[in-house]
Amino acid sequence: MPRFPRKNGLLRLLAVGAALLMVSSCAVRTDQMVRDPDLVRIAVNGWVGYEASAEVLSYILEEEMGYDTQLMRVDEQPSWQALDQGALDVILENWGHEDLYELYGPEGNDTVVDGGSTGNEGVIGWYMPAYLAEENPELLEPEGLRENTDLFRTAETGDSGEFLAGAPGFVSQDQGMINAFDMDLEIVYAGTEAAQMTEVQSRYANEEPVLFYSNEPHWIHEQLDLVKVDFPDYYDGCDADLEYVDCDYPVYDLNKIFRKGFVEEDDYAYQFLDNWEWTNSHQNEVAGMIADEGMDPTEAAEVWVNENPDVWREWLPEGYEQRLQ
Amino acid sequence: MTQPVTTSSGAATGDGGGVWRRSWFQALIVLAVLVAGYWVSRTLGHPSWAGGFPTGLGDGFMSWLDGIYAWIVENRNDSPLFLYFFNYVSVGLGSAVVLINQALDALTWVGVTVLGVLAAWRAAGWRVALLVLVTFGVFALSGLWNASMTTLALIITSVFIALLFGLPLGVLAGRSERFYRWLRPVLDFMQIMPAFAYLLPFVLLFGIGNPAASVVTAVYALPPVVRITALALREVPEGSIEAATSLGSTPWQILTKVQLPLAKRTILLGVNQTIMLAVSMVVIASVIGAGGLGDAIFQALSKVNVGQAFQAGLAIVMLAIAMDRVTGAVGNGAHTPDVPERLRMPVLGGGLAVVVATVVFGRLFGLGGWPRNWAVDIAAPVNAVNDAIEGVIGGATSAVGTWMLTWVLSPLSEVLTGAPWWLVVLVAAALGWIFGGVRVAVISALSFVAVGLLGVWNNAMDTLSQVLVATVLTLVLGVVLGVLMSRNDVFATILRPILDAMQTLPPFVYLIPAVALFGIGRVPALAAAVIFALPPVIRLVNDGIRGVPAGTVEAAASQGSTPWQMLTKVELPLARGSLLLAVNQGIILILSMVVMGALVGAGSLGFDVVFGLAQNQLGLGLASGLAIVGLGLFLDRVTQGRRASHA
Repeated sequence: MPRFPRKNGLLRLLAVGAALLMVSSCAVRTDQMVRDPDLVRIAVNGWVGYEASAEVLSYILEEEMGYDTQLMRVDEQPSWQALDQGALDVILENWGHEDLYELYGPEGNDTVVDGGSTGNEGVIGWYMPAYLAEENPELLEPEGLRENTDLFRTAETGDSGEFLAGAPGFVSQDQGMINAFDMDLEIVYAGTEAAQMTEVQSRYANEEPVLFYSNEPHWIHEQLDLVKVDFPDYYDGCDADLEYVDCDYPVYDLNKIFRKGFVEEDDYAYQFLDNWEWTNSHQNEVAGMIADEGMDPTEAAEVWVNENPDVWREWLPEGYEQRLQ
Repeated sequence: MTQPVTTSSGAATGDGGGVWRRSWFQALIVLAVLVAGYWVSRTLGHPSWAGGFPTGLGDGFMSWLDGIYAWIVENRNDSPLFLYFFNYVSVGLGSAVVLINQALDALTWVGVTVLGVLAAWRAAGWRVALLVLVTFGVFALSGLWNASMTTLALIITSVFIALLFGLPLGVLAGRSERFYRWLRPVLDFMQIMPAFAYLLPFVLLFGIGNPAASVVTAVYALPPVVRITALALREVPEGSIEAATSLGSTPWQILTKVQLPLAKRTILLGVNQTIMLAVSMVVIASVIGAGGLGDAIFQALSKVNVGQAFQAGLAIVMLAIAMDRVTGAVGNGAHTPDVPERLRMPVLGGGLAVVVATVVFGRLFGLGGWPRNWAVDIAAPVNAVNDAIEGVIGGATSAVGTWMLTWVLSPLSEVLTGAPWWLVVLVAAALGWIFGGVRVAVISALSFVAVGLLGVWNNAMDTLSQVLVATVLTLVLGVVLGVLMSRNDVFATILRPILDAMQTLPPFVYLIPAVALFGIGRVPALAAAVIFALPPVIRLVNDGIRGVPAGTVEAAASQGSTPWQMLTKVELPLARGSLLLAVNQGIILILSMVVMGALVGAGSLGFDVVFGLAQNQLGLGLASGLAIVGLGLFLDRVTQGRRASHA
């Protein structure tokens, strides 16, 4: 093999040159990526209720206001990161996450803005089918549940009872609650919300016992008769140590989170999203069509938009029609 | 432990049957020791000296990584490292994807189709052009036109980066033995590492969405082009180089005028492989916010909609096949239409004119992406078929699933997690010694210790149990089907296109029917992994048996062998090289499904990778990903130990 005595020198020269070029030109921030001004980039977290909101808003933005929309499917934490980096414009349904707001909000990186309530109220908790609770009313209290965890035994968990957890991206304090209330339960992670819901539906159909993580608003409550286990109410700081949580989940006032640059542009799209506010039952109507009837999400949004013009006309900002000319 | 087996002698060639059988016997003894160790530890009530690996160090490692994570999040737009390097890359790549996507949009769907078909015709002849036309038809009719264009933009960007780095690396490796020796373990590592495991660090460095997706895809697709380019340059006849040298060529001239032209065809094969890997990775990248077809599948998965997933899966399969045929044809030049030299410019010009005309036409009529309403919905019928199948065999499969869990998966996992960690390490070393010699023994022991040091011992043992069961199942099914395929040409002809399609279908698609049939937990994950790993195993077994010399078979037949004897005494032993390769490939594919399985409840390492990704816990995610590599290294080395020591 021939050797190249000059090669290293040349490489070094190139490297130094490239480095100089980069340093001498200006510094690049991640939010300087090319962006289509007519494109609204919306995070979609992995549950159907959120998707319902996103599809309806995206439908109105596209069909009524002439924008393009991009729905990016990411988990909760990464979508905050994406706002911070400027890869997304808005999170439509945020559940808590005070720690992230501290990190990225005005006190921290100052890249995201709290956009206020969506009008939806969020509840997270442990649920079971109503038929089970009717037969064994004591299961709805932590003490009664502790005595009867053997009801929930499955092949997967062996001697312990099974607790079906939600998707890995969801807010969760289940292990802490299991520890604090001393329950003989083992968490089985379904991996996705859909996988979990399929399992719940099939157990419900066979009238088998099942105990699982769920939340409201959620379309499953329109379809199945479910009841929530009654843990002691949330109090400030009870979830400080996630290994020991002796309270229920807090009740969340669901809010929107905007990218700061998106707010500063103050475009019609921002004003529209800022005006948007609806109720749990509105969301459930759309989510039910998507998840339960298996309708295409865009079609479901179209149906809802056609049926409820009086609701969404309120959200349109003044003068948006000028865009279309 | 028992005596080491000599690895140098003709174990793999000639009459190695005795040695082979002896190794299996020794392996069984070693496994018996493991079970005994577990039993002793259990009777003693799992004392601390005979439990799982201590997690102290691993916890420290994870919190160190979490610290790095926090630092990057806070300093991404302050630190010079990011301002002057990573952000350049991420902004550049992100913008590139957006721009290519906009360019494809600007061409309108008619323009893209005409351009694609004409280019395919020029490069690969009218058959392939027809295939490309059908592919665009599938994109359009399935209502996934825009998603397909996004995917295409992402593939173009990442293949470009992969080639930009891969080709020069390959050339360097082809010319310098020392460089290649240094590079090869890095490439090995890249190929064993499950794709999911390195998503998180790249997201961190390059930013979520398209930038990280294109880097990840490029990294994943890089190894084949480097390897094959290096190989191609090495295969250039020494004589041609010497002739050129003696004529006074400079090294640069030798490279560009002799080596590269002679190696061109092989290098193009490498490019082809790289593109195929990029196609499969783009789907996985949807987990970190890359849009396109992968996202369509991911969405369908999250709603357990088999039909929708199938539709998007079909679009990806078509894309993969079309890209394979086009680049393959460029490589071997077989079907390239023979345009005379003087007509080349006119043909090119004419083609360009047609494309421009269609684009102008398309824009005049305001055509952008394919209109949604023209889409044909095949999701509903597929769902109906799936429901019917589920209704018929659902009860039986869930019973099989429960049996599997109670009698196979749980006990095995119990033994591996319950046995003292040092015994498991010793057993791994012993198995390495038996099947591959001292070097492999050391590597095996070290990879288990590394898994322990990462602080995820128990999860790793649980994952190992699932991987082992999946491997055994895959091999049994693969050998049976492969033997059948080698016996029956009709069966082989039917099976081959199915295997082709299965190999290009993104693994996501397998998960959904698996959940429908087996519920949630380790069993559906197992089923999906087996189905994913089967095609190459079947193919290799078939090739191996068909490769047995006809003379040998005839000789055995004339001596009165029964078909069973023929198979077990002649064909399978002679096909052992292929069988070992099949084991090896099967294991690597099953490992790559560990993380996918977590999406349907397999738990353990895979879940922690997904969890780390979803909750931004770099420490946990990366440690679990590296632990999968550790297990992979052990399984890979043990199963190919002999072959490697012969090479």
